[in-house]
Amino acid sequence: MTGSSRQPLDRQTANWQHLLAGARQVGIVGVPPLMVIRHLNQQGLIIHDLDAMLVKADLETVSQLLPRVYCAILRTVVLNGLHLDLDGIVIDVGPGKCDAAFHVAAILEQALEIPVIRTENRDDADFGTPICRSTLPLMEKLIRITEGVKRPEPAPPPPACPPTAGFWGVPPRDFSILELFPDTTHVYGWSRCMENKTPAADRLEAHMNPAVPTVFFAQSFCAKTALARHLAGRHPHALYLDIDVHTGGSAKAKIEAFLELSGAKR
Amino acid sequence: MILGDFGTSYCKFLDTDRAGAEPTIVATKALPPDLQIDIATGHNGKRFASRYVNELIALARGGEALIGEDSFLLLDCGSRDIKFVHYEGGKLADMGWNAECGASMGFTIELLERYYDLDYRTLSVPQQTFSVTCGVLGMSHIFDAVISGIPVAEAVARFVKGIAVNAYRFARSPKKIYLSGGLCDNPLFVASLPCEVVGLGRFVLLEGLKRTLRQGEGE
Repeated sequence: MTGSSRQPLDRQTANWQHLLAGARQVGIVGVPPLMVIRHLNQQGLIIHDLDAMLVKADLETVSQLLPRVYCAILRTVVLNGLHLDLDGIVIDVGPGKCDAAFHVAAILEQALEIPVIRTENRDDADFGTPICRSTLPLMEKLIRITEGVKRPEPAPPPPACPPTAGFWGVPPRDFSILELFPDTTHVYGWSRCMENKTPAADRLEAHMNPAVPTVFFAQSFCAKTALARHLAGRHPHALYLDIDVHTGGSAKAKIEAFLELSGAKR
Repeated sequence: MILGDFGTSYCKFLDTDRAGAEPTIVATKALPPDLQIDIATGHNGKRFASRYVNELIALARGGEALIGEDSFLLLDCGSRDIKFVHYEGGKLADMGWNAECGASMGFTIELLERYYDLDYRTLSVPQQTFSVTCGVLGMSHIFDAVISGIPVAEAVARFVKGIAVNAYRFARSPKKIYLSGGLCDNPLFVASLPCEVVGLGRFVLLEGLKRTLRQGEGE
């Protein structure tokens, strides 16, 4: 929907600005095109990132709409949609997010009586990735990257550092694993594409740094598990990890041991 | 310093202040609830010590201490889980910890020996094997086999072989395994692993704690 993005995916969402007229609170899923984010900000709307954990309701309540064995991020999206008082949802589908989001859009549309606008973000103007390469604690990096999705302009760049470790992947549903990494961890994968505001940039997503031990992370049941495992197989010092809803003790221990035994924490 | 490896079924302790002291083994269910030691590892250990070392790190450090090679694969088969570390050229190359799908394999093997009154030292490795990825789920194979007329000892041996093959595959099917844990003392399990096996016994994680302690003192 920007100059380089494709047109809206169906006739209904072609008049998305009209559909959102009078809205106060809008949910977004994935990284909608910059044009949409600019518009939502210009209208002064409250934007909720539905990929994040925003409500405390039991995830099991989503089971009436989605299978239990399904991407925990998208289950969270539906949970947020059910419990927040939204006037509309903008959901990115296709290469900038995933095909599963396409189906979730249809489910949300039928479950909620609000406009659900599908976008396919092909933005290719690089915003830069200073947060990914900064000295900030990894959790703070991911918080700023995910918060940045709601804004049309880049955040001030924090101080940079050379990497001693890498985190490749999407922002996890359970951020607690991020506490285990040193502050000198650089961020790669789709999270880097998010900061760059080019979520469909497949070459940027596949970029990795073979010089630093890297954890290749994906949410269980996400299509990106294939890319994560493939890249981990090609990286000289990698740990592949997929995690579902919560991070178990053995997964945390694996990360902790990998980082310590590979020297990433020294 | 008292070091402890707190396993699901057994806990192993070493007093480093007593020269030449041998490790001791205590059944986990017999542990005093108010026990406090200096350094602990094992999934059950955090509440018993002020300092905790994660099991994979303890296993790796134990391997570094006991195996005089730069490249090795060390597999630990415990009551509850299986885990391995793989070193190449003195550096960590791969690792894994299967606490969910590998659940309760060692525990189940011991349980079956007692329940059926068997002695694993007298059982030979069977030709056939069950496809076993979990101790609990794998038991249904035994019951089905016994119902079909296969002797209990043969059915249990197939189960044990299935667990050994699953652990071997989990460790990426190496040519040689350094084996850690109580199953080192189970000749049927060791002989069922389809590769060269060097048993290191059940105190590898304690050796890892000793090495961690020495490294800490050197800092």
